[in-house]
Order: sequence, then structure tokens, then C-alpha cells
Amino acid sequence: MIGVLKSMATTMKHALDGETFTVEYPDVAPEVSPRFRGVHKFSQERCIWCRQCENVCPNDTIQIVQDDQRNGEQYNLHIGQCIYCRLCEEVCPVDAILLTQNFEFVADTKDDFVYNKEQLKNVPWYKDIDPLNSREPDRGAWIGEGEGEVDYQ
Amino acid sequence: MLPLQSEILLPERIAGLLGLSGTVGQIVGGLLGAFLIANLLLVQTAIAGPWAKRKITAAFTDRIAVNRVGPFGLAVIIADAVRLLSKELIIPEGVDRPAYDLGPLLVPFSALLGFAVIPMGNGIHLADPETGAVFAFAASSIASLGLVMMGYASNNKYSLIGGLRAIASNIAYEIPLIVTAASVIIFTGTLQMSEIVAQQTEPLLTIAGVTVPQWFAFVNPFAFVLFVVANLAEVGRNPFDVPEAPTEIVAGYQTEYSSVYFVLIYLGEFIHIFLGGALAATLFLGGPAGPVLPGFVWFLIKIWGFYLFTQWARSAIPRLRIDQFLDVGWKGMLVLSFANLVLTAVIVGVIA
Amino acid sequence: MSLEEPTPEDGAVEVLPTEGDEIADLLGDLVVDREEHVNAPGFVIRPDTVQETLTRLRDEAGFDHLSCVTAEEREDRYESIYHLTSFDDRQREVSVIVPTAKDDPVSESAEPVFRTADWHEREAYDLIGIDYDDHPDLRRILLPDTWQGHPLSQNYDQDRPQIVTLKEWENPLAEDHREDEGDTMYVNIGPHHPATHGVLHVKTVLDGEQVADVDPDIGYLHRCEEQMCQTKTYRHQIMPYPDRWDYASSGLLNEWAYARAAEDLNDIEVPEYAQIIRTMGAELCRICSHMLAVGTFALDVYGDFTAIFMYAMRDREKTQNILEDLTGQRMMFNYFRLGGVVWDLPEPRDEFFELIRDFLDDLPEAVEEYHDLITSNEILQSRTIDTGVLPPEVAKSYGATGPVARGSGIDYDLRRDDPYGYYDELEWDVITEDGCDNFSRLLVRMREVEESAKIIEQCVDLLEDWPEEERNIQANVPRTLRPDDDKEIYRAVEGAKGELGIYIRADGTEKPGRFKIRSPCFSNLQTLPEMSNGEYIPDMVASLGSLDIVLGEVDR
Repeated sequence: MIGVLKSMATTMKHALDGETFTVEYPDVAPEVSPRFRGVHKFSQERCIWCRQCENVCPNDTIQIVQDDQRNGEQYNLHIGQCIYCRLCEEVCPVDAILLTQNFEFVADTKDDFVYNKEQLKNVPWYKDIDPLNSREPDRGAWIGEGEGEVDYQ
Repeated sequence: MLPLQSEILLPERIAGLLGLSGTVGQIVGGLLGAFLIANLLLVQTAIAGPWAKRKITAAFTDRIAVNRVGPFGLAVIIADAVRLLSKELIIPEGVDRPAYDLGPLLVPFSALLGFAVIPMGNGIHLADPETGAVFAFAASSIASLGLVMMGYASNNKYSLIGGLRAIASNIAYEIPLIVTAASVIIFTGTLQMSEIVAQQTEPLLTIAGVTVPQWFAFVNPFAFVLFVVANLAEVGRNPFDVPEAPTEIVAGYQTEYSSVYFVLIYLGEFIHIFLGGALAATLFLGGPAGPVLPGFVWFLIKIWGFYLFTQWARSAIPRLRIDQFLDVGWKGMLVLSFANLVLTAVIVGVIA
Repeated sequence: MSLEEPTPEDGAVEVLPTEGDEIADLLGDLVVDREEHVNAPGFVIRPDTVQETLTRLRDEAGFDHLSCVTAEEREDRYESIYHLTSFDDRQREVSVIVPTAKDDPVSESAEPVFRTADWHEREAYDLIGIDYDDHPDLRRILLPDTWQGHPLSQNYDQDRPQIVTLKEWENPLAEDHREDEGDTMYVNIGPHHPATHGVLHVKTVLDGEQVADVDPDIGYLHRCEEQMCQTKTYRHQIMPYPDRWDYASSGLLNEWAYARAAEDLNDIEVPEYAQIIRTMGAELCRICSHMLAVGTFALDVYGDFTAIFMYAMRDREKTQNILEDLTGQRMMFNYFRLGGVVWDLPEPRDEFFELIRDFLDDLPEAVEEYHDLITSNEILQSRTIDTGVLPPEVAKSYGATGPVARGSGIDYDLRRDDPYGYYDELEWDVITEDGCDNFSRLLVRMREVEESAKIIEQCVDLLEDWPEEERNIQANVPRTLRPDDDKEIYRAVEGAKGELGIYIRADGTEKPGRFKIRSPCFSNLQTLPEMSNGEYIPDMVASLGSLDIVLGEVDR
């Protein structure tokens, strides 16, 4: 009986202290950490069309179309199919593809999630934060990898 | 201040106000009075179901709960009513039609019927027969019939198990409930509700200038605890919510009900909780009696207090297993309630 | 925590054969051929001597744990591999390889020796198409009964439409009604049921309120995870997927399972600093996962979305916040890389350490609150003590691991018994409870949370003082990995639910030839009938909750 009363006391304590741990989304925008991986942002100006992101992508989410001169024509990314593993950002030597912290995206149909390069460019930063700054320090690990065996394919 | 217990009952007063008399006055007054009280309860259920329950549970679980529509999210009651009523009423194949439809009607009806004899203070009292207490218990037990109809007619095994469990729990806990209530009747010597309430206004003792009335919860706290526990089982709340048991048998007898029927069942359940509270208040807590505030407000406070208690228990206490549940009922509660009855009878006999 | 070498006093006890040659002597004529796997010696035997071999290994050599059964189809043969090890000494391992003919793949079942082989062989039959003689119930397990072909076999036609005629599905309830005189009732619990923790279907026969027979029917969440991994490269592409096996936030533990197997396969040495970060992250995940387990178990016993569930969720959120800062995601981390981790701790480091320390400081209070709310509650005790009893011998035979085994008093934890990461350098204890019931399993999880907190605290201390120039988070790993052809490895880690093992056979390319996941939930779930038969429905539900299964990992 004492245990039962202890249980009831515990819940009552929580009821009376008035604290809540849920937030009133969307009125209160949740804090996300600088490393959080959301929708991609693509910069055509930076991209050198090396297609490494397309190669590394585990589930063929990225599609790149080039002309015969190997100039980039299309850069399509299905943000609904993407598993947000960040390998494309990791592999990109020029930071052309980045994962913003923006996790809010909706569409009427699944097809609308196929973003072309213009749509990818217009993805807004979440709370105007450019995540590149917080990720910069770790890039070195990738560039110097393999020592001499670096194979950019 | 209005008198706590007026001699005139609500139907007569309405008839008087309308200037009617005789049989016509009785019929019109009775119908209007019943209409008023039923609506009063429905309004309370509306607040308790979609709004208060969420808010209370949220408070226990550190959440915010409904707060978007209207002040304190109160308009969610209207939104939910529209939402629930506009849902499709799905009638599964092979249900036993009249029984399937009657079950959900019977549950709220039986609970509302019980309120006919409950004195709510300030003259809000529909009928005051000499057998008032028995009538209230009898009316509320009709719900069991509704539950078993729903369970049996739904053509669903979970519903069947739920219906059977509901019957088992009702039988196992109705007896201790009524036997405990009988110990109060021994004190009062009457089954008339107004008389039971009136007797509880007598002073029990005076401590430092504060007069403690002769509420039976003070006279016999043990019986009060027994009554509240048996009541919890009667209304099927934790730790005794075995008939519904969401994680075991999906939703028990109400598994196959949707839309309006779902609303009716929930309505019935909440009114049952209030009826349980009203019975506890009338038999043990002096009915609508209380200092300063008018009697009707005290009555509301008491039944809402009981409602709050059921929600509190729900948040903190695990459900018993069905065999343990019946063990507690037959081997524990029944024995204790009879012991209480005999003891009360002896004490009353000695004093008298 | 390092394993002590057997001292001469211990040596007085009979020395069990461990080395390849010793086992070969023991098995004698049964051995047809020898193979060498990275983790253990392998013995090729004839398909009709499976039971004899396994019995001898179990009874005379102490290999009492059939960890996994891997089946695969090779160019010239079918092959079943029984990965045996010992509950007493996890580092003793042996693989028994049973090749069968291509045209008539029939092999003797190991089910009479190890009960756990039941489901594993059904899976092998289902996906690969090997027939097991003497198997009590050889049906499909992951795919529907109407499936045509065996998807992991070599000549399987992926484009073949799996048409199920209407006749197959004509009145699925017909079977429901058994004979008129029967005293039992057949109930489908799930796949849509509040207490099945996902899409599990438990075929239940009830005798009144009591459970006469249960038969878990799995496969609703089968996503071909093994085959998917076979189509991805070792170096990067496989790593995001382990997060999705046991998706209820034990992602890093799963990633570690793959990382450990692949690193040992490719001889990659992980820097010490990265190992500490891994250990810390993995234990955070374990807390996360156990919190969810405790919360949902309470949910099963209490009924509604009650306070304890929300409190457990709240504490789980805190660990998820830390993990989000560390890895960038709340559940699908993809944080490990072969040879290390992808990111160092987030800057500013002090703030991050502060966050973890705050969490650790609050944790004892939170755990105390759980004890107040659930374990000290008499009603919960009466519900859980002596229900869902799983005796240790039965648990071993079913290959139960993790908190389920430890709740049955089996002192078995891979973090200690087969050390990896940084665990053997840290001070912590393996928790066991002897009750063998639902309550013990609950207690084990709650106490393991405290042990994990101890580990995290030590990791934080180490990381704080780590010299800045030695913060090496990744080893130097070539961009493309091509392990040698026919190199085979089976490696396991202690996941949140138990022994999570990965078998990889390399085929000389950058992708695995066969990738097999030994899911702890799969083996643990198999014990459900043992625990529930004869008990009440609520106890069955509570037992299911106490197993803490995640269907994503059961079905893969």
C-alpha cells in the first residue's frame, strides 16, 4: 500500500510543480544543434560536377545529368527518399552540397519532394544559421584521408 | 442563501413557476426538470471528456495539452464534438443488430437515471422516493446490461472478453459497494436520499470552535475508503480498468464502436464516474452541504473531486490482472464490507 | 574489467577444447574439412551429422550458445553455418559449416540440440531455400506463406510478380472457427494492437482468460536489410543502415556491430580517442533505449499513456539532445565510420561536457523517481513477480541474450566477455538478477542505466583531459575497401537488446558477398511461448513488453 501511495505522491508532485517538457510547436521553434542534418542546400556556383555525391549516396537519392562536355545540366535530389546520412556533404570537396538544419518541409505528393537545383538552392537556412561554420573544423579528417591513396574517381 | 434542502422538489417548483397543477403539472414539471438535470450533466461530461481529462492527464505527465482553440483551449469541446459526430459510423459485418445499437444507449441512460434521486442542493432534486438509495444503485447497475450487450453483439472476440470481464467486475464489486452503502443506511435508518443528507448536517463534534458535521466519511472513514475503492471498480478506472484494458484487449466491449456510438459510450462512462462521485458525496460527504458556498457548488466540487481522483489513480496505479482483480473483489472487498456492515450494525444496536 | 587468465587453480577444472586442433580431435571423423574464419576455426561436416556434431560440441566442449545460423547459396553448394560460442567464455568460438548439394539442399536440423535453431532455420529456409530434415515446423517466417521462390538464392527472379490469388485470401477468418465443441478461443493479437510494440502478430489460443498457446508471426516489417547491405560498399554506404535495424534509438550500438565486424575484416585499428567517444555514445544510446523499454513496459502494465511513460520519454529526450549535439541526428545517427567516428566532440567542448554532466547529475534522481513510481508499487510487483518465468537453461537454449538473459541470472555481457571499444579499461559491473521473471528484466534495465551512466562519466573524464594534439578521430582508411575473397567473419557487440552479431563473407569486391544480421530481438522473441503458455493474457502482454523487442530488428 505504501508503494501505491508513493506512486500517487510522485505523480501529484509533478502535477503541482507546473513544469512541462513539451514545447508549443510551431509557436516556439525548437532549438536544433548546429550539427543537425536537414534539407539540402545546393550551390551551383561551387559545384565542380565531380559526381562523388551521386556515387556515395547509399540509396540513389541524387541524380546528376551532364552534357557530353561533362558540364552540369541537372542536379536532382529526392528529399523524401533521402535518409539524411550526410555522406554527400562529407564527400563534397567544395562544400557545394550542404545539409541545412531545416527540417520543416511538406508537399502534397511525394513527387513534389524531388527538388531540382533551383529548389535546392532556395532552401532557407533554419533560423538563418549557416551550419558550415560549426562543421568546418572536422573537414580536415576527410581531405587528408588515405595519405596518397586519395582517389577522387 | 438558499436553503440546503428545500421541501419542494424541482418538478413541483417548475410546475409552480409555470402555473400548472395536477397531473399536467406533474408531467410537464417532471419532464422539464429531467431535461434540465440531464443537460446539466451532459455539459459537465462535455467539459470532463474532451477538455478536463486531457488537461488533468497532461498535468500529471508534465505536458501542456489542449490550449489552441478558445480560452484555455475550452473551445476544443465544440471542435471535438463536431469531429466525433462527423466521423463515419462503421457497423461491422455480422453484428447482432438491435443489441449492438441498444448497448451504447443503455450506458448513458442508466447513469442519468441514477441522478434522478440525487439531491444536488438548492432544491435541485428531481425525485425523492423512500427507496432513493436503492433506486440509484439499481439504475446504475443497468449499465452492466448495456456492456454485456455491446460485448456480445459486436461479433468481436476482444469485445466478448471485455463484456465478460465487465460483468465479472460489476458483480464482484457491486456487492461490496452496496453492502458498504448499507452500513450507512443502518446509521440513518432510511433509504430516502433527502433524509440521509439531512442527518449528516447534525454536528458530530466541535474542535476549537469549528463544528465538524456528522458526515459518514468522518463517522466511519473505513467504510468511506471501501466505498471509494469499490466505486473505482464500478466505473472501471485504474487500477480496476480490466474490462477495457487497452493494452490487453484493445478496448474491450467498445472495440467495434465508432462515431456517435463511441461518443455515447464515453458519455456514459463519464456520467457514471459522476454518478459514482454523487453517490459517494450523498452517502458519505453530506451531499451538497458545505460552508460559505451554496450547496449546489459544493455538490459540484465533490463530484469533480471524485473525478479528479479517478484521473489521478489512472496516472499512477497499474492495472490489476483479471484474477487478482476478482480476488480483491471476492476475497478482500466482500469480506471487509461485510465485516464493516456487521460492526456498524453492532455499534448502532448498542448505541440505540 | 579485463578477463583474467585461468589460474592454475582454475586449471584443475577440466580444460575445454578451444583451439582448432583440439576441437578437431574431439569431433574426429565428423570433420570433413577445415576452414579458418577470422573469428573462429571452422569445421565442415556432412549434412546428416549436424545434430551429432552440435551435441558433442555442446556437451563435451561447452559450446552452449548457438549464436547464429547463417545460410547462403554459393556457386556450387548451399551452406549453413552454425556460429557456436559459450555463455561462460564468449571468446571461445567455433563455426560449423554444413554444405549441401545444389540440387537437393537438405540438411539435418539443429533444433533438437538448440531450440533457437527453430526460427533461424526457418529463416534460412525462407530466404535461401535450404530444407532442414527433422525440423518440427519448417514454414516461411519472414515472407508470407504464398511467396514464390527464395529471395536470397542465386537464381531468384526479382521481377517475378508475387501474385496471390483471391482464393488464398478468401475469408481469412474461416480458419478462425475451429470445431464446435472446442473450449478454446483463437485470437489474433496484432498486427495492429496497442501492445505489440509495432507490427507483430501473435496467434493466440485462449482458454478462458488463460493463454493456451502463442505463436508469434513476424515479418511484417521485413525490409531486406541484409540484402540491402549486400548492395552497398563497405567503406561508407552500409553505415547509415544499422541505425534502422533497431530504430528505437540504439543506433550507435548497431553501428558499432557493423563497424566492429568490418574493421576486424579489414584489419583496421581504431584510435583510442575515437574508441572512447564511441563508448560514450553507445552507452548514451543504451540509456536511451532502456528508458524507452522501461516506459513501454510500464505502459503495457499500466494501461494508458500514464505518467511513467512520459517521464521515461522525458529522460530519453535528454539523452537524445546530447546525441543530437554529438552526431547531428536524434535517432538515425550515422556517426561511426570504419576506423573511427566522423566528428570530434562539438565545440565548445566545455559546454558539451557540461550538458552530459548535468544529465548524469539528474539521472539518479530520475531513476529514484522510477523506483518510487513503478518498482516499489505493490500492484506492479504483484503483476510482474513470478510471471513470464524464463529459466536460465531455457533462455540459453533459445539463445536469449542481453537484459533478457541477465534477468534470468545468466552472467553474460559481451562488453566484458568479448571486450571491444574502451570497456575493458573502465570500471563498471554486469548486472544480473536471479528472478527470471518480468520484474527481474525490468530491474536489470533500470540498473543497467545506472551502470551506463558510470561508464559515460568515466569517458567524459577521459575525454576532458585528452591532450589536444592526440585527438585522432579516424584511422587512415583507404577510400575503397576490398577484403580478400572468401574471408569470413562473425562478430558481435552488446546491443541494447542483447548480442547483435554481423556475419560478413567477402567476395573480393567492395561489397559484401553475404551480410547476415544476428538480431538479439529475433532470438529473444522466440522465448515468448515458453514464458506465456498457461499464463493470463495480461501476463503475456507484460512478458512481451519485458522482452523489449523492436520489430525493425526482428524482421530486418
